Amino acid sequence: MSTVESPSAVRKVVVHLRATGDAPILKQAKFKILGTDKFAKVIEFLRRQLHRDTLFVYVNSAFSPNPDELVIDLYNNFGFDGKLVVNYACSMAWG
Amino acid sequence: MDALSWDGTLTSRDFLVSARAFAEKWKEFNSAFPPWTWVPCPPKQPPCHLPQLLQQGYLSLEKICLPGSSKKGHVTSQEDVDEISLTEGEEEFEPVDNATLVETNNSLQVCYYDFHIVYSDSYRVPVLYFRGYYIDGQPLALDEIEKDLPACSAKVLLESKWTFITQEEHPYLNRPWYKLHPCGTSEWMKLLFLSDDSRAKIGVAVEQYLVSWLSVVGQVVGIRIPFEMLNNPKSCN
Repeated sequence: MSTVESPSAVRKVVVHLRATGDAPILKQAKFKILGTDKFAKVIEFLRRQLHRDTLFVYVNSAFSPNPDELVIDLYNNFGFDGKLVVNYACSMAWG
Repeated sequence: MDALSWDGTLTSRDFLVSARAFAEKWKEFNSAFPPWTWVPCPPKQPPCHLPQLLQQGYLSLEKICLPGSSKKGHVTSQEDVDEISLTEGEEEFEPVDNATLVETNNSLQVCYYDFHIVYSDSYRVPVLYFRGYYIDGQPLALDEIEKDLPACSAKVLLESKWTFITQEEHPYLNRPWYKLHPCGTSEWMKLLFLSDDSRAKIGVAVEQYLVSWLSVVGQVVGIRIPFEMLNNPKSCN
């Protein structure tokens, strides 16, 4: 694990935002975020950056995390190479 | 199955395989929660020419209390009852007229939810059917259910009224249940399994389908999946 070694309360996680499908690619794709933040913050950030209300956001190519999950928990379970890869697509799950 | 050419759908046989794997995994990693059980259903018209038709049925999780699912007494249409202040012991007073008795003690009312995962032959994907009811069996209307759903669902419900949750006949029980619309399901299922190049070569694990599916669908109704279920051993290397 190559994340910043500090007490877990203030530990930051590197999130790598990766576009899939026809989603626009971000100029800067890697961000540091507090491990104590909820995944909802990542979703909210993407929405603002892409000016989209509806995004499909998922991790590890297998599931879509609940917005209430903590970033650190996701990183500990699904992160690798010192980062958490988060994929996003501009499709709507419903409607 | 090759993920690159896969369209995100399942055959009914794959659904059965996935349903069994899912129920097993749920039991293993989420034992504090009631188990999903497979409910077999005999085909409506017994096949005469096919020797053995595939077993039909659905996954069922019943009598679940959702995290936010406790309602205050029926105060919605009785705004004036809030003004009645009850002091201790007053609940025991004798109502003068039973016909006008309303619950004024603001006690939390328990609601239960039943969830069924049914395979849709037309969309070739799993579909979530659900219903909510009070402890006495009285069904919850959609606007009451809405209050129990996570905030993000309430928002979608408002924006896409007819393409998100609608009331329809349960395919096996022939009663009105609420249903999450499956028209986008194959699209996002495809995304879930496709994005990673290294994964594409591994292929689509049918056993993992329902776990991934519920990670999305569960968010709508507030069912969470433990991380252990999401750790797909095939993608770990």
